[in-house]
Amino acid sequence: MTSNNSNNISFFGGVDRIAVLLYALLVFVGFMNIFSASYDADLPFFAFQQEFMKQLMWMGVSLVAAVVILLLDSRLYHMYAYYIYIGALLMLLLPFTPIGREVNGARAWIGLGSISLQPAEFAKIATTLAVARLMSAYSFSIKSLQGLINVGVILFIPFAIIVLQNDMGSGLVMSSFLLVLYREGLNKWICIPLVMVIVLFVCSFLYTPLFLVVILFWTFVLCSAMMTRQWQLCVRFGALVCLFAVLLYSVSFLWLDGVLEGYTSLLIAIGIGFIVAVVYAWRKNIASLFLMLVLFLGSMLFVPTADKIFSSMQPHQQQRMLSFLGLQPDHSHVVMSKTAIGSGGFFGKGYMEGTLIKNNYVSEHHTDFIFCTVSEEWGFLGVLVVMGLLCAFIYRIIHIGERQQEPFGRIYCYGLASVLLFHVLVNIGMTTGLMPVIGIPLPFLSYGGSSLLAFTIFVAVALRLDASPQKISAYH
Amino acid sequence: MRDNDAYIRQTIVRIIVAVVFVVLLIRVAKMQFFNDEYTTYAENLVRIEQTIYPPRGDIFDRNGEYLVQSRECYDLMVTYNDLEVEGFDTMLVCELVGIEKESLTRALNKIKKDTYRRMRPDVVASYVSKESKLRFDELNIPGFSLVGRTVRWYPHHIAGNLLGYIGAASATTIKNDPYYTMHDYVGVSGLEASWEDTLRGEKGVRVMVKDSRTVIQGAYMDGQYDRAAVAGKSITTTIDFRLQAFAEELLKDKVGAVVAIEPSTGEILVMASSPTFNPDDLVGNDRSRNIAKLDNDILRPQFNRAIKSKYPPGSTFKLVQGLIGLQEGVLQPSYSYPCHNGYGAAHKPACHSHASPLALQDAVAQSCNAYFCYVFSNILTNKKYSSIREAYNAWREAVLSFGFGQKLGVDMYGEETGNIPAASVYDKKHKNRWGPSHIISLSIGQGETLCTPLQMANLAAIIANRGYYYIPHVVKSIDGEASIDEKYREPHYVNVEARHFEPIIEGMWRSVNVEGAGTSRVAYLPGWDVCGKTGTAENPAGQDHSTFLSFAPMNNPKIAVSVYIEHGRWGSESAAPIASLIEELYLTDTIKRPALVQKVKNLKIDYSKSRNYRPKDTKKAKKK
Repeated sequence: MTSNNSNNISFFGGVDRIAVLLYALLVFVGFMNIFSASYDADLPFFAFQQEFMKQLMWMGVSLVAAVVILLLDSRLYHMYAYYIYIGALLMLLLPFTPIGREVNGARAWIGLGSISLQPAEFAKIATTLAVARLMSAYSFSIKSLQGLINVGVILFIPFAIIVLQNDMGSGLVMSSFLLVLYREGLNKWICIPLVMVIVLFVCSFLYTPLFLVVILFWTFVLCSAMMTRQWQLCVRFGALVCLFAVLLYSVSFLWLDGVLEGYTSLLIAIGIGFIVAVVYAWRKNIASLFLMLVLFLGSMLFVPTADKIFSSMQPHQQQRMLSFLGLQPDHSHVVMSKTAIGSGGFFGKGYMEGTLIKNNYVSEHHTDFIFCTVSEEWGFLGVLVVMGLLCAFIYRIIHIGERQQEPFGRIYCYGLASVLLFHVLVNIGMTTGLMPVIGIPLPFLSYGGSSLLAFTIFVAVALRLDASPQKISAYH
Repeated sequence: MRDNDAYIRQTIVRIIVAVVFVVLLIRVAKMQFFNDEYTTYAENLVRIEQTIYPPRGDIFDRNGEYLVQSRECYDLMVTYNDLEVEGFDTMLVCELVGIEKESLTRALNKIKKDTYRRMRPDVVASYVSKESKLRFDELNIPGFSLVGRTVRWYPHHIAGNLLGYIGAASATTIKNDPYYTMHDYVGVSGLEASWEDTLRGEKGVRVMVKDSRTVIQGAYMDGQYDRAAVAGKSITTTIDFRLQAFAEELLKDKVGAVVAIEPSTGEILVMASSPTFNPDDLVGNDRSRNIAKLDNDILRPQFNRAIKSKYPPGSTFKLVQGLIGLQEGVLQPSYSYPCHNGYGAAHKPACHSHASPLALQDAVAQSCNAYFCYVFSNILTNKKYSSIREAYNAWREAVLSFGFGQKLGVDMYGEETGNIPAASVYDKKHKNRWGPSHIISLSIGQGETLCTPLQMANLAAIIANRGYYYIPHVVKSIDGEASIDEKYREPHYVNVEARHFEPIIEGMWRSVNVEGAGTSRVAYLPGWDVCGKTGTAENPAGQDHSTFLSFAPMNNPKIAVSVYIEHGRWGSESAAPIASLIEELYLTDTIKRPALVQKVKNLKIDYSKSRNYRPKDTKKAKKK
């Protein structure tokens, strides 16, 4: 469905117009709401202190960036993907240097004069490029352990640096690549335990480690069974390990004055079972089982460390985490946010009439909590429009990805779509109390130069790849 | 196969995207459509109701003179965060507002500690005058503002007990009446309490929007929920402020009460109780200290003796006795009874020395105890009735028709009933075997007989009117309209015919106007035909109470007065001069007897010897 097959693209001729339109609408709606949320009647209308004026400036910068990107040769992104990636990693380290700035407990910003930039936003683009480059190589196989480890490393390095910056929200965005991997053929029986790990991480605050380990263990046993098609063997293996754990515990309880607790005995049994499984996989040379075991070992280490991770969090992060899990009364942030959204009703309170927004009950109401402004002032109608636009945009990106002849473009577009979806889910989820409050912006709508510029570049690269008539493989 | 797999996978990805959006949309829809809680909470969060206090109604005397005036005064407010960083002229502010520097600094330091209080205006001084406000406004010191409200102001500093005072609504008031909330003011005593509903007006409300730091941002919904305040209605009383002030002046250093009534209307001209307090003391910065002082005074200055004290009427009650005797037919004006320093063979109750025997008029004038003992005895042994008990009941009914032994129904709270005992009381006391001798002290207003100064003044009015009275009342009109209750405008007739009043009145006239004929000579006002009756009431607390009951002129009476001075000894000694001076001022507008005024003022009564005013257990009181 490529619209232009000519080698000489007339300026932007091949750019997907629907995507551009949706993008423009989203940015426009975002600007309208930022204006409402941040207009300060005490300042002159055109004062640069007005947040919407800054947003207007960033919109201009983004436009220039988009035009530049569309003018560049699409091959560059493929060619320089790794360099861009390394550059982004270096940029991620900048907040640790003296030019870094700390905002809300996260040292995730760099300051250039009066301008602040969040390198993590740009790291997403670079990571997507690197993943696309890696996975589009002929030699890459999603089925090979080596390939998956390579992808994992590419994702883990920025994740680790961002987490070190104390910006868990942006770090977790990397997990959205699971969707890309799935689309590219990752065995679904690997996806399920991976999703489990994320869920368990959250659940580790709610349930005892013993319970979590049992669940984790059986998830992996069953997923291995589905993958290797050796049902009997896997279930027997699992049952034996459990039996052994019970035996260990009974012996210790009856004759050894309970030296071993239930949890310890289970860990010992699982440890022995793990060694057996490794030997078995080695002898039979079953790669998928190996992969499973590696994942299992990783997640097993993860469960007891969740507690440590929690205690290493900033107090405000802990608070948010706990309030999300319902362990403590709702964080006032979320209560206000939910109240603003809930009180919007069907038609909303009217533009610039949001009582909670206008009177500062919802903090961050023009940045991460812009969705509250939309919901309170425009009501459900506004929510429908905004979510409709976002949904349509993501579908359009997937559509664009699917029509790429080269895997590089497809993977890149899927990366973009996944990151967008993750942002939408977590952001709207947190404002409505479905998700913990991890501060990530709503794409195109939230106030913030880094976010708008990064997403614009992200989209522009995808559109550039799409508009390109050349086959990237020709330059391989 | 490979393509098929890719197709399935991209479809599943699309489904995942759709699921995410549907889940989020359902979540938002659930919050926006199926839960009113958020809307209610959002409203409560943002709305703040500001009460608009209406000015409380003024109170005037019968001639339109202010007794209580609602005056504008100002609270000095400070918004700490708006203060100038380099400081302000503390001395200047203190001087303008009239507070001490320490109290201002203390208040400011308190505000400084609280981040939220720092952002909004807070009261640092109250009762700032209008003049200060004008000067303050000129200076325009940042962070300071003056907010108006009304306070009570008393131009003549009189009638504290009558007018009462206002105070912050108590927890019980708030609980019982939804109108009141914290920090509301409510009438605590006197007219302020009795006429609270009239005086207070209706509070208004201004619904405002507040932001997250509780800073007011403007009207809520363009003020469509606002309600204007309705000003309190003013009350014109029947009180004559000159008389009231004069009565209070004369009562100074004495314990007692003065009540004066206009007989033709039942309007109360004077209602003074002593000791009293200056109502101004209960407004302003020293208020709580002054209230504590009043509360600790063993003479109980806040107790309105005019309507709340139960006193033995003493000899003034003989008038009632004589009237009932005449009505019952057991007494004729010509009847005379012997008196040899007392009644009967035992000479009890005792009497002072006077000519004997006396006829009715002279018995009234001379206040002969024995005479009225005979009268009462005759009433009780009247052959008309089958038993003494029955005769007593008839007598009691007649006494009650004079308004004794029950609340008269004055338009103020807290009126006492007094006491005219029912026959059953004596049945119990004397085991059903009692006769005139057991209750003979009733004849001269002693024993169980108790009445309030108001009831005694009302008796004077009844005699002045020759047999009827209007319920005494204090409120003449509300907001200039004579809209008082109908019950104050219909006469109440007593169970004694008008013709029987003449000999009694003649006796009262003689008592005052004929030299040597009676006990009330001191009340003589040339040309005004004053009628009077002294009373000297024995009491277990100490010295006799002095009382005087009077009206003038004899024909077309304009004023009826009762004066009661606790432990004032003879009726003629302290009560009669006071009553006479009040009549003089009311009738002639001048005082031509400055010597008498001086004499009354110099009359000092030592209350420390009275059992009523001796602190019973000082140790206990201290512990408390």
